[in-house]
Amino acid sequence: MQKVIALIKKDLTVDWRQQNPISGILLYLASTIFTSFMAFKGFISIEVWNALFWTIILFTAITAISKSFVQEERRSLYYFFLVKPNDLVISKLIYSFLYLMALSFLSLAIFSVLFGNPITNYLLFTFNLLLGCLGLSSAFTMISAIAFKASNRSIMMAVLGFPVIIPVLVLTISNSAKILDHTIWSQIQGNMLTLISVDVIIIALTFVLFPFIWRS
Amino acid sequence: MGYLLKTNWWKWLCIALLVYTIIGGLLFRVPKLPILNETIRVLHFHVPMWFGMILVFTGSVVYAIKYLKTNNLKFDIYSSQLADMGIAFGVLGIVTGMVWAKYTWGEPWSNDPKQNASAVSLLIYLAYFVLRNSLKDEEQRNKISAVYNIFAFFLMIPLLFILPRMADSLHPGNGGNPGFNAYDLDSNLRKVFYTAVLGWTLLGYWIASINVRLSLTHQKIENAS
Repeated sequence: MQKVIALIKKDLTVDWRQQNPISGILLYLASTIFTSFMAFKGFISIEVWNALFWTIILFTAITAISKSFVQEERRSLYYFFLVKPNDLVISKLIYSFLYLMALSFLSLAIFSVLFGNPITNYLLFTFNLLLGCLGLSSAFTMISAIAFKASNRSIMMAVLGFPVIIPVLVLTISNSAKILDHTIWSQIQGNMLTLISVDVIIIALTFVLFPFIWRS
Repeated sequence: MGYLLKTNWWKWLCIALLVYTIIGGLLFRVPKLPILNETIRVLHFHVPMWFGMILVFTGSVVYAIKYLKTNNLKFDIYSSQLADMGIAFGVLGIVTGMVWAKYTWGEPWSNDPKQNASAVSLLIYLAYFVLRNSLKDEEQRNKISAVYNIFAFFLMIPLLFILPRMADSLHPGNGGNPGFNAYDLDSNLRKVFYTAVLGWTLLGYWIASINVRLSLTHQKIENAS
């Protein structure tokens, strides 16, 4: 457990010191949202708001998380001897989840400035956002570990990641559309439970399969 | 797969079943129904493709798990060749389904959950082959593609159950539409249908086994030279 915390701290310091990737992803987020604001200006209904919000989260997630193993390229030999693969993958999962949560709250803030804020039930919306980010971040962490070994990484991330992420994406988008449409908890309970179980499946698979990639 | 490579009797069985399927499927009497009319015969040529695809993909995942356990190169060849066959089944299933949908639903692609789910499962396995081609080191390629195979398969299964809940489906057997067994009063369809499932799946394993043999031979030649 101590090693996990140490690894998370290390990721934080690395990101803090080389501010290049962080400022890059922030600018990516801002310019994507602004571009879609210019493109969609005038016909933003709640459904469009919802679909656009999740599409931007999806692309931000794939861009932000694809770096999580790439930046370890030179360090991977040290890890190989120092830490167990399970510790490493837990730290990466937690870190990418926190990272994506921060980015999605930020994009929510920019969204409400530019497009307006249709959210009425903040608690439920945030809960759904949390589950969606958990699924996205953990699936993309696993995919980035796979794509890390391939030759054309950025294309492989999208090709491998998008079909796999569809269950999470379909569930979160339909949940959040219903939440924005003033749905109460009991009506989306079933979908939420399915979403939680899909998240659990992703994390469990990552946990079981990651050591095989790491050893190769 | 190992057993199928050694024996031959199932190939004769496959030929017999498919001859029966084709003759029976095209010539036997079918129930007369509005809209469906004679298109109900697609049952023997479309639905078995999905059964075949799921069975072949399941085989592929089983061998991927076996490969990760034992590191035996043979299992990787089984796994990738079965996945290859699964894609062929999937493409045939989508094409036959689209032809049928054109005449009954009025358009080949109506954004039906079943159609979307099948398209996504094809995307997953096409990505699997792109991944295999982009890795150069052989052992690394086998291991990583086996991992992706398992990861994607276990996320494809919930997808097949989730998507139909999101929207109503026009597909027979979904969303209140009766499946074929509701029409099949004299069990004529059923007789042909079950032989068709078995026959087409065996044909898939037959083709895969030829490919497996070919790859194994390539392997031997490479090792010898």
